[in-house]
Amino acid sequence: MLKRVLLSLLVASALSTAAFAEEPKSGGVINAVIQPEPPGLMMGLVQNGPTQMVAGNIYEGLLRYSPKLEPLPGLAESWSVSEDGKTYTFKLRKGVTWHDGKPFTSADVVFSIEFLKQTHPRARGNFAPVDKIETPDDNTVIFNLKQPFGPFIGVFEVGSLPMIPKHIYEGTDFKTNPANNTPVGTGPFMFKEWQKGSFIRLVKNPSYYIKGLPHLDEIYWHVIPDAAARAVAFETGKVDVLPGGSVENFDVPRLSKLKNVCVTGAGWEFFSPLSWLWLNNRSGPTANKKFRQAVMYALDRNFAKDVIWNGLGKVATGPSSSSIKYYSSDVAKYDYDPAKAKALLKEAGYNGEKVRLLPLPYGETWQRWAEAVKQNLQDVGINVEMLSTDVAGWNQKTSEWDYDIAFTYVYQYGDPALGVSRTYVSSQIVKGNPFNNVEGYSNPDIDKLFADGAVAFPDAARKPFYDKAQKVLVDDVPVAWLLELQFPTITRCNVKNLITTAIGVNDGFRDAWLDK
Amino acid sequence: MLAFIAQRLAKAVVVLLAIVVLNFMLIRMAPGDPAMVMAGEAGASDQIFVTQLREKFGLDQPLPVQLYRYVKGIVTLDLGFSFRQQMPVAKLIAERLPATLLLTVTAFVISLLLGVLFGTLAARFAGTWADTAITIVALIFYATPLFWVALMAILLFSVAMDWLPSFGYETVGANYTGLAHVLDVGAHLILPATTMGLFFMATYARMTRASMLEVKRHDFVKTARAKGLRDAVIQRRHVLRNALLPVVTLAGLQAGTLVGGAVLTETVFAWPGIGRLMYEALLQRDYNLLLGVFVVCSAMVLAFNLITDLIYRAVDPRIEFAS
Amino acid sequence: MSKFWRTMLRNPGGVIGLTILLLAIAIAIFGPLLFPTSPWRMVQRPFLPPFTVPGLPLGTDALGRDVLAGIIYGARVSLLVGLVSTMAALAVGIPVGALAGYFGGKVGDALMRFTEFFQTVPSFALAIVLVAILQPSIVSIVLAIAIVSWPPVARLVRGEVLSLRTREYVQAAIVTGQSHSWIIWREILPNALSPVIVLASLMVATAILLESSLSFLGLGDPNLMSWGYMVGAGRTVIRQAWWITLFPGIAILLSVLALNLIGEGLNDAFNPRLNKEGR
Repeated sequence: MLKRVLLSLLVASALSTAAFAEEPKSGGVINAVIQPEPPGLMMGLVQNGPTQMVAGNIYEGLLRYSPKLEPLPGLAESWSVSEDGKTYTFKLRKGVTWHDGKPFTSADVVFSIEFLKQTHPRARGNFAPVDKIETPDDNTVIFNLKQPFGPFIGVFEVGSLPMIPKHIYEGTDFKTNPANNTPVGTGPFMFKEWQKGSFIRLVKNPSYYIKGLPHLDEIYWHVIPDAAARAVAFETGKVDVLPGGSVENFDVPRLSKLKNVCVTGAGWEFFSPLSWLWLNNRSGPTANKKFRQAVMYALDRNFAKDVIWNGLGKVATGPSSSSIKYYSSDVAKYDYDPAKAKALLKEAGYNGEKVRLLPLPYGETWQRWAEAVKQNLQDVGINVEMLSTDVAGWNQKTSEWDYDIAFTYVYQYGDPALGVSRTYVSSQIVKGNPFNNVEGYSNPDIDKLFADGAVAFPDAARKPFYDKAQKVLVDDVPVAWLLELQFPTITRCNVKNLITTAIGVNDGFRDAWLDK
Repeated sequence: MLAFIAQRLAKAVVVLLAIVVLNFMLIRMAPGDPAMVMAGEAGASDQIFVTQLREKFGLDQPLPVQLYRYVKGIVTLDLGFSFRQQMPVAKLIAERLPATLLLTVTAFVISLLLGVLFGTLAARFAGTWADTAITIVALIFYATPLFWVALMAILLFSVAMDWLPSFGYETVGANYTGLAHVLDVGAHLILPATTMGLFFMATYARMTRASMLEVKRHDFVKTARAKGLRDAVIQRRHVLRNALLPVVTLAGLQAGTLVGGAVLTETVFAWPGIGRLMYEALLQRDYNLLLGVFVVCSAMVLAFNLITDLIYRAVDPRIEFAS
Repeated sequence: MSKFWRTMLRNPGGVIGLTILLLAIAIAIFGPLLFPTSPWRMVQRPFLPPFTVPGLPLGTDALGRDVLAGIIYGARVSLLVGLVSTMAALAVGIPVGALAGYFGGKVGDALMRFTEFFQTVPSFALAIVLVAILQPSIVSIVLAIAIVSWPPVARLVRGEVLSLRTREYVQAAIVTGQSHSWIIWREILPNALSPVIVLASLMVATAILLESSLSFLGLGDPNLMSWGYMVGAGRTVIRQAWWITLFPGIAILLSVLALNLIGEGLNDAFNPRLNKEGR
């Protein structure tokens, strides 16, 4: 027996009409900034941030997620989970067509998963628990899992599982298919034009399956490489939308004070970017737990939040961001306490060995932060040498474990089994990947807690495992957690209803409209 | 004449090949590779992903094989495929080259005109306070970091006055045609080209001044003066014309520097040219693209040098075409 | 020699340049002694405008660091980068140019091809690539600047040597069987020195600018406070805090200008005839 779990279309549309009392206006062009220029727009092949942001308008996933991470209808209009947590049934929306007019069916869903298993590292992991996929008809997809997998309902947004047209890609070499330059999806906007180095132009999909959407006629994504120039472009009215992270934090307060400018931190709940310092657990002073705890006490994280991030974000309490599932604040606290840090360093027997600090090469904010951390650490007597590198060098050094302390920030994807455990379980100690257990922390208890947490069913049964895991980790300090980051989206106030889901701008401009 | 050109071209090809090989090796010494960068940007990665990318880019082959393939391509004028942008390098460069040419040539003309003007004036008043003042004015732009002047110009002319656009090549979405399009691009060009032109102006001013002073000592000027020709006529007809010869040579040598200036200018003004393309390709370790830009820029410099040499020889009959 | 100095000191540009440069050097040498606090230390609230808090005449930057301290310590780094990279460039350029000019023929031709090669690659682009490969540090920056700036030296020296080589006293030395190195070092180079000195003064200036451009692109040494770093770091907040960018920008402007004026002054002083018949 299947139990209907969630949301009919009715509920969803009732919710969204309540959200904006104003009547949306149709038409208009939006100018947004994209930084850096994406390497490609074929979302099945390229998954980097800018690609997701632009192509999220072209492609769609089966589900969308509310800011509280509850599933909302996407290409699937309803879904249900069996009592034993092993069967997921999706009913697809009828009458959906690709941009080239061909119908979208359950066969496309199966094909997309096959496709992404070859090209998308996260999809590979997400769909590993799937035993088989059935498609009884064109509008039904049934996933049979080997065992319950709690996070499964959270892997259907457009970035994790973009729908890829079977009729275009089947039997071709995906990577060299010429269609990669003219992406075809089911989304509210269609790819029109890309002048490399200048702009990407998307136009309204006139036969979009939700009547009346999208409201906008066109979106221009402008490529402006210099942060200061991006801020100027917004100020002078040349662009209307600055997605999170596209201007330096120092500019945010000034821009938000301008007339007719609205700022929101919403739209990042699914990613919940959490920043930390990798501490190399394998060698050097950082191999000592007491030293690592000393680092935690030495860091003035409130200063970082207030001064470097202009008050945006939150001081992290541990491995989970407070906005994802199973977050627990019942863990040891590390306040800024240089005296305690010094005492711990003494206990650790640290005697001034040089420690290399690798900043994240993502612009001035991160550079300033590294300078502040260096000062913090020097103040308690740690002999820090700052290194410098570019993105390629940073990836190389962290994924080959050639560092002592290194900055990073990582997306958490809503569920500890998707975005948190990979940093701490010992099976993820593999060279060549900057997002796994780069610090080399290995603890059999933690391995077991995360393994059990992922497959426990129902959801309530998962919580105790994660509560315990967070406690243990915070005591051991495998990495030095810094801040839960917030990347504010800055818009003109007449851009309405832009951010409606947990992935914000990446879910496209489907519902956005322009008040003239 | 033809023999001279042929000989120069042969030499140029050798230099070009050397540049290809050296840079090929250099770039691969940099830490990280394009697969690593793309994996890093994806926000998630695993071994399969990186290995797949390396295979796709041909980076799993031994270095000599990669070099052989690349050079073979170059000889047939094939610049290879951009890893990251998944397009032929030649096409990417062709898309961006016109913008850079427009920018650098305009900047070059501005710097040359202003430089010669300032240099002539300084030479005329050589040794006086006027000379010093002119020199200092010309030098101020040369002594200020290019990007700094660029930022100040944006703040002044785009933000404060709102006279000129601050970024890009044209008004995106306006779809101007004909004259309106030319004017639109022109408006976008003013700030970046002037910024760059002012920076390079000082070099020409200095060279013009020095070479005018040099020429004035020559007998033919003294003769002219003795003949009672007016000062202005002497300046124009005899001194300036001869003094410009070394300036032409300098212009040839400056071509490479101009491309360097383009990297900074294009970054600040979001000008879609190859300078920026090069810098981005470097950061992304897009080897083929980076090498491609290097090859094209170097070829342009060589061509420019050849042209200036020819001009030089045309203007100055004393030089013969044997080398 | 005293005649040389007299000409130099009569050149107003040269005097201005010399004064500024001496001041900068004095700051670089003695400044840090008077200002023992590290320029990286966060001493006050961020974004304090100049002349508002006693003891911080030039205000504070985005992290609350003293801008004046940064400029004082930066003088040392910027001047050192300029000086050392120029020395390195001379160390390559002079021998290459001298050998090419003196021996000529195949050797000279090969050396000049080599030089031409480095001149053909866009120099700033090559510098960026070099620093990126070696990873930004003071050593890699100096090295990169030196590598891209030696070719003009070689060309200049070659030209001088070519013309000096035909002089009678050099020919005499060759006839009397002096060794090549003796002739080059004792007879030719000392007489080719004046234009090299002029060029060197300009190269120091260019090197300071290059360092600042590299810093602007994020390729500076992260452990050293240089003017270029300060301008680069300040530019993102230029709208809120103009002083963070302006003051180090002026420092660069003044020293580069000074070096250029000195170069001009030297040039005129070495070629005194030019000025007199100037009118």
